[in-house]
Amino acid sequence: MLKMRRVCKIYRTDAIETHALNNIDLEVGAGEFVAVMGPSGCGKTTFLNVAGLLDSFERGTYELDGLDVSRLSDSEMSRIRNGKIGFVFQSFNLIPDLNVFDNVDVPLRYRGMGGKERREVIEQALHRVGLHARMKHHPSQLSGGQQQRVAVARALVGKPKLILADEPTGNLDSSMAEEIMALLAEIHRAGTTIIMVTHDPGLAAQAQRVVHLLDGQIVDALPSPDSFPGSATITTHA
Amino acid sequence: MLAYQLRMAAKSLRRNPVLSILMIGAVGLGIGVSTTFVTAHYILSMDPIPEKSSVLYYVEMDNWDPNRPWNDSDPTEAPNQITYRDMAGIMKSTIPTFQGGSFKASLYIHPEAKIGRPYKALGRMCFSDFFKLFDLPFEYGGGWDRQAEKGPDPVVVLDHETNQKLFGGENSVGRQVQIEDRHFKVVGVLKPWRPLPKFYDTHNSPFAEPEDIYLPFEFGRIFEVYSAGNTSNWKRYEGDSYQAFLDSESIWIQMWVQLDSAEQKEAYMDFLNAYVHTQKAVGRMQRPMNNKLFSVKEWLKEAEAVPEMATSLVVISLLFLVVCSLNLIGILLGKFLARAPEVSVRRAMGASRASVFFQHLVECEVVGLLGGLLGIFFSTLGLKWINSIFENLFESGLDANMLAVAVALALLSGLIAGLYPAWRICSIAPAAYLKEQ
Repeated sequence: MLKMRRVCKIYRTDAIETHALNNIDLEVGAGEFVAVMGPSGCGKTTFLNVAGLLDSFERGTYELDGLDVSRLSDSEMSRIRNGKIGFVFQSFNLIPDLNVFDNVDVPLRYRGMGGKERREVIEQALHRVGLHARMKHHPSQLSGGQQQRVAVARALVGKPKLILADEPTGNLDSSMAEEIMALLAEIHRAGTTIIMVTHDPGLAAQAQRVVHLLDGQIVDALPSPDSFPGSATITTHA
Repeated sequence: MLAYQLRMAAKSLRRNPVLSILMIGAVGLGIGVSTTFVTAHYILSMDPIPEKSSVLYYVEMDNWDPNRPWNDSDPTEAPNQITYRDMAGIMKSTIPTFQGGSFKASLYIHPEAKIGRPYKALGRMCFSDFFKLFDLPFEYGGGWDRQAEKGPDPVVVLDHETNQKLFGGENSVGRQVQIEDRHFKVVGVLKPWRPLPKFYDTHNSPFAEPEDIYLPFEFGRIFEVYSAGNTSNWKRYEGDSYQAFLDSESIWIQMWVQLDSAEQKEAYMDFLNAYVHTQKAVGRMQRPMNNKLFSVKEWLKEAEAVPEMATSLVVISLLFLVVCSLNLIGILLGKFLARAPEVSVRRAMGASRASVFFQHLVECEVVGLLGGLLGIFFSTLGLKWINSIFENLFESGLDANMLAVAVALALLSGLIAGLYPAWRICSIAPAAYLKEQ
């Protein structure tokens, strides 16, 4: 599903060069659930942004679903994000002016889908996360857990092959976090590849495989108990 | 997608109503001011007689001082009116389809006692061709014939307002009106007629209203009436009789001819040249030959019927609109950049830079259009105000063309104001905002 070879991302100021990602080599198979862990500032979010085509990188190659995405135009990357990737963020990132239905509708609007079809898939997605009764509510009228479920529905509605989740339970209490993790596990069981950034070893343990990042490099990989062998190849460049 | 973007624009405007009102108000003010002056200029510049403007010609000939031109700063200019004797001389030509000199005169109308007291009215002393030259629209009757000029018969044509005042708007053809000390028979009543500019006589105000009554030219001699417009002279005339005035070099008559073809025009110019030669032979018109025939458009330009100030005001008002639009840039930039987190989410969900740019431009155009509607309202008020000052000059107000101009200006100002902010917001790096929210 995802194949990065010697990917480097460097942030430059006049005085300093910071290697946010340093020769990342990573493969994630289709249908895998991978957790990315590491201390603050190690490059987890940068990795997720590069993986999600939200940020560029200086060197290396990146294949997503068999397509080399290293040198695509903005509109091509937007099309891939829209069609193949779903995002779940720590702070939900719902648009406050839009109600639940319209928030979930956002990715479909950039796909040119007809109104009737849009309504059907939005209702299905909201049904799946248990919020179909709250379609007309605005984010401010929902709890944190409900907001994150809306965000998950928004990520799911376009039927993406890959979900990138950046600390999806970071702003939730433990019971709500469990709900969201259960939802992600269910989505994973349905065949969607998930890459989740987290600080929490307990949550990471629910993934099939854990990738550790330190100073922009993958330092080791400890497969989680449920992982299936041979699904990932991780190389460390010290 | 456009419907969705319009919906998002409406939500965005509702999010901060005070800011939205400020933006719409700024565009509205700019559109209002610019549309008012563009409309004023448009009305002032209209062809007053489009169906005939290419065949009507204003006649000029140079009878001025041999030692000094009519206009010191432009010696090629000829005097802008002609003398009575020259009018009488050139009206002997049979070349023009229609022709006639005329002038504005101030005359007293004596209505019946039950109507009111005598009052001063503006009259046009003219020939029968005047009505055909300028296609005057008649409500009742018509103009007089050439035969009536020989007497002259005491006949009069009333304008719509005067007929309203004297006869309550009834068909007054055949009725009598006392003008000065004589009774005139009404032969025609005009429909409301307001050529803009008043091209046939631009000398006092090109935007004055037409005259109240029209009398055969010869009554000017009978009443010994002088022009109520401009009279200029370069040579003192002998005696103080009216006949001496008519025989003098005083210029006070506006002369128009209708020449339907290039050949007719050429023949008439030859006739004018021949006429001037005869005058030179008797010691008049000693300046270089300088006969001119101006079409209506040429004449309005020559007479500077549209004041330069009107053009300057259009330019200034458009600059004011640009300033309003430029001020909007700052407001829109702040508003859009504050929305960077939302835009980043949209980018993550698959919105391209182009669609983000277009979405924000649509919002700017919505502001522009709403401002345009407000501007049309302001412009209507502005034109009413100007109308109250300038003798109902702009009573027609905004027509379809000017409404289209207002909408186009509104869209243009929205575009000017929106391009840079929309470009800035579509250029943000989404990754920088997604973690921060």
